[in-house]
Order: sequence, then structure tokens, then C-alpha cells
Amino acid sequence: MTPARKRRLTMVVLLVAGVGLAAALMAKAFQENMNLYYEPHQVTAGEAPVDHDFRLGGMVVDGSVRREEGSLTVQFDLTDYTDTVTVNYTGILPDLFREGQGIITRGRLNQSGSFIADEVLAKHDENYMPPEVAESLKKAGKLPDGEAQ
Amino acid sequence: MNWFMRWFHRFGSPVWFYRIAGKWLPWLSGLFLLLFIPGLYWGLFVAPTDYQQGESFRIMYVHVPAAWMSMFIYVAMAVCAAIALIWRMKLADVVLICSAPVGASFTFLALITGSLWGKPMWGTYWVWDARLTSELILLFLYLGIMALYNAFEEKRTASRAVAILTLVGVVNIPIIHYSVVWWNTLHQGASVSKMDAPSIHVDMLIPLILLGLAFQVFYVLVLFLRVRAELLDRELNTGWVRQLALEHDDD
Amino acid sequence: MNSPASAFFAQLRRDLLVAFRNRSEALNPLMFFVLVTLLFPLGVGPSANLLQTIAPGVLWVAALLAALLSLDSLFRSDYEDGTLVQLVLSPQPLGLLVVARVFAHWLMSAVPLLLLSPLLAVSLNMTPRAIPVLMLTLLLGTPVFSVIGAIGVALTVGLRRSGMLLALLVIPLYIPVLIFGAGAVDAAASGLPVTGQLYILAALLVLSLTLAPVAIAAALRMSVSQ
Repeated sequence: MTPARKRRLTMVVLLVAGVGLAAALMAKAFQENMNLYYEPHQVTAGEAPVDHDFRLGGMVVDGSVRREEGSLTVQFDLTDYTDTVTVNYTGILPDLFREGQGIITRGRLNQSGSFIADEVLAKHDENYMPPEVAESLKKAGKLPDGEAQ
Repeated sequence: MNWFMRWFHRFGSPVWFYRIAGKWLPWLSGLFLLLFIPGLYWGLFVAPTDYQQGESFRIMYVHVPAAWMSMFIYVAMAVCAAIALIWRMKLADVVLICSAPVGASFTFLALITGSLWGKPMWGTYWVWDARLTSELILLFLYLGIMALYNAFEEKRTASRAVAILTLVGVVNIPIIHYSVVWWNTLHQGASVSKMDAPSIHVDMLIPLILLGLAFQVFYVLVLFLRVRAELLDRELNTGWVRQLALEHDDD
Repeated sequence: MNSPASAFFAQLRRDLLVAFRNRSEALNPLMFFVLVTLLFPLGVGPSANLLQTIAPGVLWVAALLAALLSLDSLFRSDYEDGTLVQLVLSPQPLGLLVVARVFAHWLMSAVPLLLLSPLLAVSLNMTPRAIPVLMLTLLLGTPVFSVIGAIGVALTVGLRRSGMLLALLVIPLYIPVLIFGAGAVDAAASGLPVTGQLYILAALLVLSLTLAPVAIAAALRMSVSQ
């Protein structure tokens, strides 16, 4: 092999090896559990930090939303179908916040074990359809609102 | 391969491209109107209202095609960059740099319509949504390409610099997009984001496809106009431009 | 003919020596890093809770800006005195020599910043368990800043005023590193596992070390040939 060819071959081998290694590391990263938030059962088990803000995610329990008269304070329960945590939040809830919907809150625990949220986030789903279709889907029990179960 | 290489070289010839693009322009304009007007009418008046978002979802018919184009044009530019760097084809350089402002405009349009859509949906004009954020970064990639091109005085050097930057960008776009999506799920409700493809009713889909095609044709149309102008500018001192000028003098 | 490996080390040795002779210049990114971090408590107020929340982001943004500002010295003086032409004309692979140059630059500009980061983290009231993660992510992330930044510098080194343009070109490409770096520190601060983010940062480092030298070499050839 001429030196030029040899060098080009080495370069190609290095490139392939580098990209391959990067892909392997990426694959490894996806196997890791990249938790983005705590679930209620972790909170009740005492795994969540007490001295630091964290994110708490779960479903809003049906019929648990209580609004305080004359203020923006809201209280509701979040569940992961194992355990339930009570959340207190003062502020305007997002339009798409509703009972039975999955949400994420950010804040920290107080002494009595309920969660004081600074922020409540909900997302609109990615379905576009006319109301009649939504209605019939709901009858069939397939409306994507309950998808996060 | 022989016929392909011959076609490839002819395609790279500025004279040939200038003439062919000129002939295509009226046809492209007609096709654009044929797709755009029915698509817009169907989207804005015929398609049913959305079950959750009401009438405001109709902004999708401008927003989504614009977002598609913003990505498509960048990929087209990256293909041009590769051709320009490997085969030193002049026309690829021109197409690359002429596409950048069109792509930037579509990205800007997608951002504006996205934030207008955000107002009724999220209650605010700007949300750090993953796709909006990615679009914003994409806009800066386009602006960077344009700024780099304008920073050089000599057009050949500028074209090479821009081609390298475009290729670096296209490797990064998927990484940027993925990281923004991850960052966004970190900050937003991850449990409710749907993993499977978004579903859309067929009556709402047809105008979307029509408008998507219309935007595509519009891009080619504007690109041809820009490339013709740029070619005349770059080849100012060549025989074919002089001849063209003489032909027009006779009119 | 010398082997590529010995050329690499000769280049590295030469660059470190030059950098060491100008060591006062090498301290500038560090001072900048400290000053930018200092601005945040002054700007948003000394509330310990607030500072604790924003600390990962602040430190990472400050490190990013310091890396960006230190880039200018990467090829500038070599371009002006003609050394860069010698580098491009050398029979050794340009990509390899460039990696040596960037590595030397990283050692002089980013490593001091990395070593000082725990001090600043404490001053921002960062949770102690997040500090090792902060250092580890900076160790994985700042080389990516240097390597990607080198592409931008190589593209713009022939231009007279390139500072702002460089920022416009390079910052969008820095975003993934910032997101995963700051995200890992943030997760560590709230006690969540961070191995996933660390793997991704390592993947970004390997990928940029593999692909960027090709782009840097092409850009340098373009810059010296104009």
C-alpha cells in the first residue's frame, strides 16, 4: 500500500470507530433510566429530597381539585395509582389542566408532607379532530385524554 | 452512469440552468396558484373545527407547512454543500446561498404563526416548547450562514466557508433537536406527551397536504428567481450574459 | 519522515510552551468565568433558594461564555504571522495537528476553570452532592466547546472583525452540551440519577472529536487560501 492510501485508510477507520463509539455511548444512555421527575410513591417512601426543589409528576385525581374562595390557591391530589400526594399551588392553572390529566409540578415538600408547587405544567395533546369525532371516541372510551395511564 | 454524468455537468452549467429556469417560471407560478388557493380555501372554510382547540387550530395550515419547509430547505442546502465541496459545482454554491434567505423566512413564519397559535392554546405568545425552541435555533443557524457569507468579500471563498458551515450544521440539527426535546420534557409534562404519531382527521389533512405542496412549489419558484439573479451577477463578465443583454436590447 | 504521533506531540509541546510563556493571557478566561458568575447574585438578589435553583445553569452558561471568548487566541496570531500556512502545508495530517492545538488550548483555558468551579458552586449555595457531577460534566463538556469552537474560528480567522460573527456561528452548536451538562447537575442536585446524561455528554465528546477535525482542517485550508 502506498503511504497516502494507508493514511486515508487509517483516517476512515478512525472515523468509523469514533462514530461507532459515540453511537454505542448513546445506546448506553438510552438504557439508563433518565428520570425526569419523582412519582408520588417515591415521595411517600421518603426518596425525594427535602432540602431542594424537585419535579413531581402524576395524574390529577378526579374530584380532588379544591379552590379556595377569593384567592388563587388551589389544592389537588396527584396519584400514580399506588400512592397519592396532596399538592398546594397558588397561581393561574394552565388552560389544559383538568382532572384525570397527567401533569408535572415543581416545588418542594413542607413539614406536613404535602407538596408546595411553584409551577404547574400541562400539555395539549397532538390530536386534531372535529368535536363529533371526539364525542364518538369518548363513547368508545378511546379519547386520548386518558392515555397516560 | 454516462448519461447521468452528462446530465449532471449540463445541470451545473449556468447558461443552461438560466434558460431552463426561465422557461419553468410561468408553469411553476400556475402550479403554485392551483395548489395554494384551493388548499387555503379548504383549510380556512371547509375543514371542520377542532374538538379541543376550536377555530384557532386553522393557523396550522400556515404553520405546519412553513415548519416543514424550514427543515426541508436546510437539508436541500446541505446536499448542495456536499455537491459543492466534492465536485466543485458552481451552481450548487449558488443554490445553497440563494436558499438560505428563503429558509430563514419560512422559519421566521413558522415561529410567528407558532407564537400566535400559542396565545389561544397556552395563554401566552411564547412557550419554551421543544419545537418552537428548535425552530428558533434553526433560525439562528440560517442567520449564521447568511452572516458568514456576507462577511467575506470574495464570493468563492464565502461559498466554501458557507458550505462547510452548512454541513457542520446538518450533523448538529438532529442532536440539537433531540436535546431540546429532552430538555423540554424535563420542564414540561412528560407523562402526557404522546409517543406515537400525531393523529389527524382526514378532512383536516387534505388541505394540509395541498398547502404543503404549494409551499414546496413556492420555494422552487422563489429559488429559481433568486438563482437567476445571482447567476447574472456572478457571471457578469462572461459571453452568455453579454449576449443575453444584447438580445434584450433588440426588444 | 516523522510519524504522525511524534508530530502530534511536537505540536502539543510547542503549543503548551507558547501558552505557558503567555500565562497571564491564559488567566483571562478564568477571571471572566468568575466575574460572570459573580454578576448573577448581584443581578437576581442574594436569596439562597433562588441561587441554589439557578446555580447549575449559571455556572454552565458562564463556562460556555468563557470558552467562547477564549477561542479568539486559538489561531489568530498564527494566522497573522504565517505559522498557520506552515501548518496547512505540513506533510502530517492537518486534522491531527489541529487536535493537538485545540487540546493545548483546552488545557490552558478550560482546566483552571474546571478546578475553580467547586468554589463558585459553593458560593451559589449549590447542594454539595451536585459538585462532583458539576466537575465531571465540565470535564466532558468543555472539550466539546473547544473543538466545535475551533471550527468557527477556522472559518472566520481570515476576517478582520470576527468576534460577534463567531458567537452567532458557534452558540447554536453549543446548545446540546449546555442542556445535558446543566441538566445533569440539576438532576444531581435533586437527587436523581445522572448516568444517562453523562453517557450522552461522553457520546457528544467522542463524536465531536471524531468529526470536527475534518471540518476544522477544511475550514483552515479555505482560510489560508483566500
